[in-house]
Amino acid sequence: MTATSHQRALSGDTARLQPVRGQVPPGRRERGAGAYPWAMSGAIALAVIGASLSLNGVLRGWAWLLPVITVVMTVALTLALLRALRAQPLLVTLGGLVSLVLILVFTFFRQQSFAGFLPTADTMSQLRRLIRRAGDTVVSESAPVAPNIGIVLVTCACLGLVVVLMDALAVPLGMPVTSGIGLLAILVVPATIKPLSVGLLGFLATAAGYLLILAFSQWYAPDSRVQSGATGNSGHLRRTAVTGIIALATALVLPLAIPGFDHGTFPQGSRLNPWGSSNGLNPMITLGNSLRNPSGEGRITYATSSSRPVYLRSVTIDRFEGETWAPDDRSFARLVGPDNITTPYEVQGEVIRELTSIDTGQFTSPYLPTPFAPEAVTGLSGRWTWDPSTLTIQAENTTSRNQQYIVFSSIPRLTVQSLARATEQPRDIPAEFSQIPNNLPDSIRQTANNVAGSGSPFAKALAIQRYLRSAEFTYSLQAPIQNGYDGNGISVLADFLDRKSGYCVHFSSAMAVMARLQGIPSRIAIGYAPGRLTGDTMALAGQGSFPEFEVDARDAHAWPELYFEGLGWVAFEPTPSRGVVPDYASEASTPSGISSNIQEDDLLAVPDPAPSAAPPVPVPAGGQAAQGASNGILGVLYGSAVVLFVALLLASPRLVRAGIRARRLAPGVSSRTPGRSAKGAALAWAELKDLAKDYGFRTTPSETPRLFSTRLRHSKAIGEPGGLDDDGHEAVIALTGDFERQEFGRPGDAGTAPTAERIAAVRSSLKGNARLLVRLRADWLPPSVMSRWGSLVSWPFRMVGRGAVSIGRALSRTWRRVIRSVHWRSWQQ
Amino acid sequence: MDAKRHSAVDEPLVQRQGFPAVPAAGNQLNGHKPRMMETEDFRDASERILRAINTVIDGKSEAAKLALTVLLAQGHLLVEDVPGVGKTLLAKTLARTIDCSVSRIQFTPDLLPSDVTGVSIYNQSSRLFEFRPGAVFANIVIGDEINRASAKTQSALLECMEEHQVTVDGQSYRLDEPFMVVATQNPIEMEGTYPLPEAQRDRFMARISMGYPDKESEIEMLETHQAVSPLARVVSVVTADDVAAMIATVQQVYVSPSIKEYTVAIGRASRDSARLRLGASPRSLLQLLRAAKATAALDGRDFVLPDDVIAVAEPVLAHRIILDRKAASSGDTPQSVIRGIISGIPVSQDVVAGGRQRDQLRRSG
Repeated sequence: MTATSHQRALSGDTARLQPVRGQVPPGRRERGAGAYPWAMSGAIALAVIGASLSLNGVLRGWAWLLPVITVVMTVALTLALLRALRAQPLLVTLGGLVSLVLILVFTFFRQQSFAGFLPTADTMSQLRRLIRRAGDTVVSESAPVAPNIGIVLVTCACLGLVVVLMDALAVPLGMPVTSGIGLLAILVVPATIKPLSVGLLGFLATAAGYLLILAFSQWYAPDSRVQSGATGNSGHLRRTAVTGIIALATALVLPLAIPGFDHGTFPQGSRLNPWGSSNGLNPMITLGNSLRNPSGEGRITYATSSSRPVYLRSVTIDRFEGETWAPDDRSFARLVGPDNITTPYEVQGEVIRELTSIDTGQFTSPYLPTPFAPEAVTGLSGRWTWDPSTLTIQAENTTSRNQQYIVFSSIPRLTVQSLARATEQPRDIPAEFSQIPNNLPDSIRQTANNVAGSGSPFAKALAIQRYLRSAEFTYSLQAPIQNGYDGNGISVLADFLDRKSGYCVHFSSAMAVMARLQGIPSRIAIGYAPGRLTGDTMALAGQGSFPEFEVDARDAHAWPELYFEGLGWVAFEPTPSRGVVPDYASEASTPSGISSNIQEDDLLAVPDPAPSAAPPVPVPAGGQAAQGASNGILGVLYGSAVVLFVALLLASPRLVRAGIRARRLAPGVSSRTPGRSAKGAALAWAELKDLAKDYGFRTTPSETPRLFSTRLRHSKAIGEPGGLDDDGHEAVIALTGDFERQEFGRPGDAGTAPTAERIAAVRSSLKGNARLLVRLRADWLPPSVMSRWGSLVSWPFRMVGRGAVSIGRALSRTWRRVIRSVHWRSWQQ
Repeated sequence: MDAKRHSAVDEPLVQRQGFPAVPAAGNQLNGHKPRMMETEDFRDASERILRAINTVIDGKSEAAKLALTVLLAQGHLLVEDVPGVGKTLLAKTLARTIDCSVSRIQFTPDLLPSDVTGVSIYNQSSRLFEFRPGAVFANIVIGDEINRASAKTQSALLECMEEHQVTVDGQSYRLDEPFMVVATQNPIEMEGTYPLPEAQRDRFMARISMGYPDKESEIEMLETHQAVSPLARVVSVVTADDVAAMIATVQQVYVSPSIKEYTVAIGRASRDSARLRLGASPRSLLQLLRAAKATAALDGRDFVLPDDVIAVAEPVLAHRIILDRKAASSGDTPQSVIRGIISGIPVSQDVVAGGRQRDQLRRSG
């Protein structure tokens, strides 16, 4: 028989077998019904938990996550179990709601319930209490709020309801796409509240869960026509790509057209932010984010006649009450017109007057950064008010954006001696600056007493500062986050004093609180550390030209201001390796006793908070200073390691594929052991099948080698016979023949064949005929490797699913038997 | 057929006086080692036969090939179709292309078993009973409209088919080799007929239906068959000896263990199938494999591929299985059920799994 008649006979077979492939194999439907509820519930639970990850930042820390996972998983498992037992759809949803109530009672009201999970009247009264508490939290605190039990209860209940809702939408109603509304409802909360919107982790986890829901609903579609796989048409991919591109373009372009969505791209930064970039509601909270943000936004430049660069101060915090500290509004006391600012207290002694010219550039905030203490501000546009007791300047109808203004400021000439003399009790100061928080832990009080010792108020202040700048404390932007005390408030403060690691917010609030405990009025100033020289100079009217400094978000800073009678408010610097320790507050100058005013010769040391800036302060390991020189090398190392890792990761399917190919086609494989010489044909065949799979040519296990090869040669994948692809066709024929002889022929009558060349010929034919996308996929994400990995990854899930299904079946069988025996008994009686 | 005749099977064959000489070549097949045929010669011979058949019957090369396959696999063929599509012509042509003895039995209700098998007649002159062989003593026996005969007569023929021998009056007579029965059956006029029961259909290796020719073939047929019968032009292209050698070659075709497993898997799946009331019998699997061997040999190979098994599965199995009533009413045919079964059986596991697992299998085993 000639080759052509083979072909005809086989193509006849192909035609005869074709209609069968369209039918669903009998086993498949049954298996799908078994795993479907589990897969679907699992995907929904994953999506909801993923979306809830983005709530970190709305709720502080991660402590709330465990109850959330418990509740979501319980509800999802209940739904899946009921569905696996083939309960009515309505019953499934009702069962989900009941399980939600039970698990909530079990988690939150175990004491007030019957048998640990049945709600009672006590439960209801406790529930009212918790809900009121949650309401209080929502109204009174700004994000991130402390995860108290009320808020966590409400969160868990909402998430559980979302699971039930999504399940009802996705499964019985058959609208898996619409079920995404539930996820959207969760994401809206962090998107509007958190300064950085949803966050990458939450977004990715949500997206993954949602895609899983869509995928499962398609794989297990009750209507087999919906199932993918039967038709692997390319139109799908193209439509998907076009839709994706349009959506992406819209997401990128639309924010530019809508005011308010003013920087960044989705998912980060596209939140509605009425004050623009650098400020949220509470500067205390955004401060840490600003410091951690390496981009350095909100650049402000200034030049000052002062002998050293100045701290720019925008807002103060003076009420240390509640879970979260925030600047006081005090709008009742504000006066309009910052061109003549007077202090309510008396300053005795000599006063140094300074002139500072500031350009805020893109920095946007309702508060105006000024050096302390401003006497007059000129050149502002818009309507501004100032607060006599805190001397903060706030906009009424504008922001600090693009303001150029000149601040006249005055500070008393401070010396160690003048400060040391200020021992009188503060009189001219409102009581709120001395108020000690009522929920203060004893540990802080003890620490304050131990550290401050006895002496003049100034000595006590110095002692506290010395304690905080000692080697015991390290400066770290990350430690508070890792240990869950990022933010501010009394509880955070206790954690900070315990861990002894944090950043300026922690140091300054610690010093402010401890000062109040020692009877010194205090407040926390928030603004910017001095910053760096730009190298330019700026001319100040009538004062000559002065060097220009710049600060940006990386210089965001908080420091305590302490009040001494007769001298007014004095700034301290308890944060190690940040800012500049004023001379009057410097340890070195204290014992010397020399009258040291703010010295001209110290000016040079100032511009950058480099290691040399604070020699007496031991450099902490994790501090900013330590990173200086070694930072470069380490950064390069880390960077290259990351790049290498990413490159390896990207290439790994390709590398694995190439490795498999090389192993199969190695000439040694067939000749290494005698008697196995024919194995080469089988390996080459496996390679051929994988190659075809890589280029999107599907195969079924019931297909014979010859049928496969015939189909391959008649498909578009390998091109027309004759011409360029003739080699490929011949190679396929030869490979098929060898493999058939080896697999089905008499043992030991196969010769060696140039398999590598043949595979190469097939590959080049496939490559030449594939479209670009297919080619790229075959090279970088070969489906043969990916599917193997996929089955490897999904193995545990399959096992768990199978186990759960069999348990469910056993349960239902037992249940049926029980029912039957009950019926039998009742019938007998 | 009574018990006595059956017990006679094992007795030595006795050549009665007056028994017509049988071709020597045919008898050799049983006793002596048969002559094998080279691949080239085999292909030549089979191509000659097929070409000859195709000149007579237009557009039915599939049926012709299947008929030859059954001949080489030492089976019997049941041709079932409406009248006038060339059932008998196919059988006759096949017989005519081979230089061998052919007999034709037109089955009717009053046909007696002895008409088929032969009868002992008392010879007055020699005063001995002389065996007069019946129509079944030929290399190729064409049984026309087998369903018209009575059950008794059918049985007589079927015994011959199975045993390749005839037993009359306690004496067994070996039939010539090659021996093949080509029976035809008309499914339309079933009134007053005795359709073959399942057990007897099982004796036939394959059942084919001719089907109507396509348009071109039909036009061509009208032209060429006008004047003379096309059969008249057919000359034999191979000898019975050649056919015996071809059969020997087919018997030597290698069947790998995985093919045996595959065949058995088909059989088991057919017995487990919910759509079938009766699955494939072990005998049918044996015949399936024999037909697959013949197909492989006709394809020029000395080993069987899964494709060979698939190619003959429908004609070999379809007439033996019985559909479940539900499946039958839902429009399934035996053919479609067999196709469904085959599409559910993986060809061989380790091939699909790929290199590494295969290595391990080889090493461990």
